[in-house]
Amino acid sequence: MRLPLIIISIITALIGLAMSILPFGAIAILPIVVAFVSGFIAFKISQKENKSNNIIKVIFLIIIISLGLTIYNSFKTNEIVEDTESISKENQSEEDSLEELESLEIED
Amino acid sequence: MQRVFYFFSLFLLTQFIFGQNNAIASSEKLIFTASYNMSGLLTDLAQVTMETSEVKTSKSTFLRLKFKARTYSKWDGFFKINDLYESYVSPSTLKPYLYKREINEGGYYKFMQYNFNHKNNTIKSLKRKRRKDGTFWDVNKNLPINNNTRDLVTTLYHIRNLDIAKATIGDSEIFKIFFDNEESEVKITLLAKENITTKLGNKECYKLAISLNNSDLLKGNNNNLLWLTADENKIPVYAKFKVAVGSGELKIQSATGLKH
Repeated sequence: MRLPLIIISIITALIGLAMSILPFGAIAILPIVVAFVSGFIAFKISQKENKSNNIIKVIFLIIIISLGLTIYNSFKTNEIVEDTESISKENQSEEDSLEELESLEIED
Repeated sequence: MQRVFYFFSLFLLTQFIFGQNNAIASSEKLIFTASYNMSGLLTDLAQVTMETSEVKTSKSTFLRLKFKARTYSKWDGFFKINDLYESYVSPSTLKPYLYKREINEGGYYKFMQYNFNHKNNTIKSLKRKRRKDGTFWDVNKNLPINNNTRDLVTTLYHIRNLDIAKATIGDSEIFKIFFDNEESEVKITLLAKENITTKLGNKECYKLAISLNNSDLLKGNNNNLLWLTADENKIPVYAKFKVAVGSGELKIQSATGLKH
């Protein structure tokens, strides 16, 4: 039971770390929670069976880093980069449309 | 005399089908945040803007309905979305004359243009795609439509222009929509009238269900919901949608230049 829990914890902690680096926002908390719960149970089993829990301590470190990054990212505001290419494309689209519409008359 | 009667009947029919624009101003700007939902946790993906402006040709004045979707800069490095939908319509009846859709999604490009011909009930369609080597290929078609068929953008604005106050809970209406060179039917059902909290304050809203027949774009029957303010502006303040890749939400951030 201890080994499968450690494996689950490692995988989910790494997924959580990746998601907290990528802009997934609050969704990154899901794997972090799974990693913490499985890691915590594995930690308790290790204590009971007098086995090494160094790997679990590393997992907890990854969890803390991931959680920190997720919280830090949640304070960042959403921004849109209005590049000149997009603006000129929109203006060009309007000019092209006016050419298309030039021959038309509205029939209300 | 017969001719006068014919034109008068045609005028009345046009007014009935396309109605009068009572809700959309010519310089309106609505800004939304689009979020992706996973197990109740949301992540903000993009900013969606619905904007109107007047454009003039030598013969007529059109209303430009612009619908823009842009990913937030934090996503641009992974999957950049830069979509532009435009529709040029009659300012008084919202009857569409020209529709353009240019999508740029993570390297995928597609451009669609429809020139509506309301005399012959046809659409001149242009589809442009980008090959892997960067060159473009065009497909031109002339397609028949019904006399009350609209494009996607015009349909969105037309829904706002409906006299929902006269409808009772459970009432529904079907609209014909032309998308990707195919005509589909959109069914709008009034589910309830309820208060929701938005960035614009606590608003009494019409809760509408949107379902698409003959299309797999939107999933489920009552999974795609739209809340319009129960006032004369009928601002879309909140939307929930379920598509093939999951579910999402659209929340209003600001609304300016409103008619009422």
